Amino acid sequence: MRPVGSPASKDATVSPERAADAPRVPVEERLFSLVLALLATDTGLTKNEILSTVQGYRQRYDHGGANANLERQFERDKDDIRDLGVPLETVETPAESGNQNLRYRIPRGSYELPRDITFSVEETAILGLAAMVWREGSLSTESRRALVKLRALGGSSDEPVLGYAPSLRVRDSAFEPLRTALDKHQIVRFAYLKPGELESRVRTVIPLALVQHQGRWHLAAEESGTGAQRTFLLRRIVGQVATTGETFLPRSDDESARALRELEEVWASHTAVVEVELESDAATRLLKRRGTVSSPSGALELHYSDLNIIADELASFGPEVLVLSPADLRDAVRSRLWRTADDHREGTP
Amino acid sequence: MIKRPPALQATDKLAFLLSLVPWLIDRAEVSVAETAKHFGMTEQQIRDAVMLIAVSGIPGETHQYQDGDLFDIAWDRFEDNDEIVLTHLVAIDDSPRFSGREAAALIAGLQYLSALPENADRGAIDSLMAKLARGASARPSEVAVEAGETDAALALIREAVATGVQVEFDYVNSRGEHEHRHADPLRIESVDTDWYLRAWCHLRGAVRIFRFDRVSALAITARPIEHNSGDVPLPDELFEGSADDLIVTVDVTAAALSLIADYIPDDAGRTTVGDLVRTSVRVSHHHALMRLVTGLPGMVTVVEPPEARHAVAEWAAAGAARYGI
Repeated sequence: MRPVGSPASKDATVSPERAADAPRVPVEERLFSLVLALLATDTGLTKNEILSTVQGYRQRYDHGGANANLERQFERDKDDIRDLGVPLETVETPAESGNQNLRYRIPRGSYELPRDITFSVEETAILGLAAMVWREGSLSTESRRALVKLRALGGSSDEPVLGYAPSLRVRDSAFEPLRTALDKHQIVRFAYLKPGELESRVRTVIPLALVQHQGRWHLAAEESGTGAQRTFLLRRIVGQVATTGETFLPRSDDESARALRELEEVWASHTAVVEVELESDAATRLLKRRGTVSSPSGALELHYSDLNIIADELASFGPEVLVLSPADLRDAVRSRLWRTADDHREGTP
Repeated sequence: MIKRPPALQATDKLAFLLSLVPWLIDRAEVSVAETAKHFGMTEQQIRDAVMLIAVSGIPGETHQYQDGDLFDIAWDRFEDNDEIVLTHLVAIDDSPRFSGREAAALIAGLQYLSALPENADRGAIDSLMAKLARGASARPSEVAVEAGETDAALALIREAVATGVQVEFDYVNSRGEHEHRHADPLRIESVDTDWYLRAWCHLRGAVRIFRFDRVSALAITARPIEHNSGDVPLPDELFEGSADDLIVTVDVTAAALSLIADYIPDDAGRTTVGDLVRTSVRVSHHHALMRLVTGLPGMVTVVEPPEARHAVAEWAAAGAARYGI
């Protein structure tokens, strides 16, 4: 029992009639109370029961009124709670129907981590490192949250894997809206500048997976209407990603693994042959590139996914690299170098 | 990479409360200090959370949050000894599941780290990923990262870091200059597919960063290190500015701004000139600038100083000249 006068005796038994005098309940207290109430019920609670009895709502509940604001608050809170991975369910009692008779609950079995899932000290450490990889955006927020949940299991966190600071970038502005659309199964629309084309074109697609290959983020998608599979490079998406208001049925296949496999096949199927200046930075770095083979003549054979991207990369080496083949890559690198030289000519600011 | 705990959103606080309760149940009695350390939070954050838990519960039959409907703690031990003992429990027994997105973030992070020597056991990593997926309340979202390639250099450096000995290697800098280096390895860093060694360089007498793909003939020595990561401050940022850096004014297309974000100093101005943004980039020498600008053709143009502009023009023209007219 709490001693009299301790902070614990604050408004716990404030009656709804005194709502106007009630101190404001912090958001996390309202959310926590909602989760507790919904975990404790087997049959579920109706919206009215929740709004009139649960801490944080009841203080603002008007017994005679419409409570529209409070209802909207409850809708937002449900979304926030579900975003945390809490399986907040809606159940309809067969005997009753209509919106007012929906009941809400959190089934314990799908809320609680199965007891047989435990993580060793080594696993906890490597998961800490996996979380550290994300430094920005929603992936960073979510991996930090996952670590908090991991710590609930007792795994020690004060033994980080020393000597590592790995990071993955998520710089493309299309990433977050696409990830949200992916999780909410929303069809999206965006303007895309296809390599080699001058004008962007609007695409309407079903997003299937976001994958990073060779350091770049790609969207694997299905074209809405034709059903054709397409891969888009996120950095070529121009402007905003919009949702169309339509949704799609989630797929059961491992779309991300398939997308990575296909990108790998494309990468392996493209080979460039380049001559590099001996002992130059290009010679060192291109030789170390994954998959590079040095031919007897001293030329290097490189794999690449996208002609325009490898052309940019090879152009950056300036005179240290000469592309021998394929011809279209040779042309692309040459025209890039001329373009840069022209742009920087004296008197052409 | 130790950072101050960021300010928590209400949903983060909720996730923390839902995780703290089962941990406290499991520990039976524990100090505020130990709890703070375990969760990487301040002691005051822990006290606030415990106070909130202690007054929380379910409406109960009376809908009045009566005592039996609320959590309770041993208040005297909390107030006098800074210890936490839950004496009455409500609704929560076990840890919450991961969300599908949380599980996906960790799984993709693990995929990326599969190049690390610690992860040589593929079976163990696969089972860890499967465990995360099974511990999620929804199917992990379809986000994946290409598995890193196991690198022999990575394993050697890792071994040197673990045993505290120096490494030696040949290093070619971006200007093509070769030097043999002896170094105390401090930390292995990466950005996407690029891996770096941050080390105390005995040749320079300072901390330097080395790209793995410019390192060759790497070997472990028997000499113990003279500096470790505890006594050399390591920056959070991969690239640090130095007083010798060049500041160069550039015109950039809006689309390319994010591609050069690492090079734009925090205090750089940004003005719009037609379709372009005029800003500045910080580079260590002309060579780095030439590489950067030539790799973004038509997207970045050097405005001034004239010698920087000239250096880029020469580099690109020399490259173009290799193809004849």
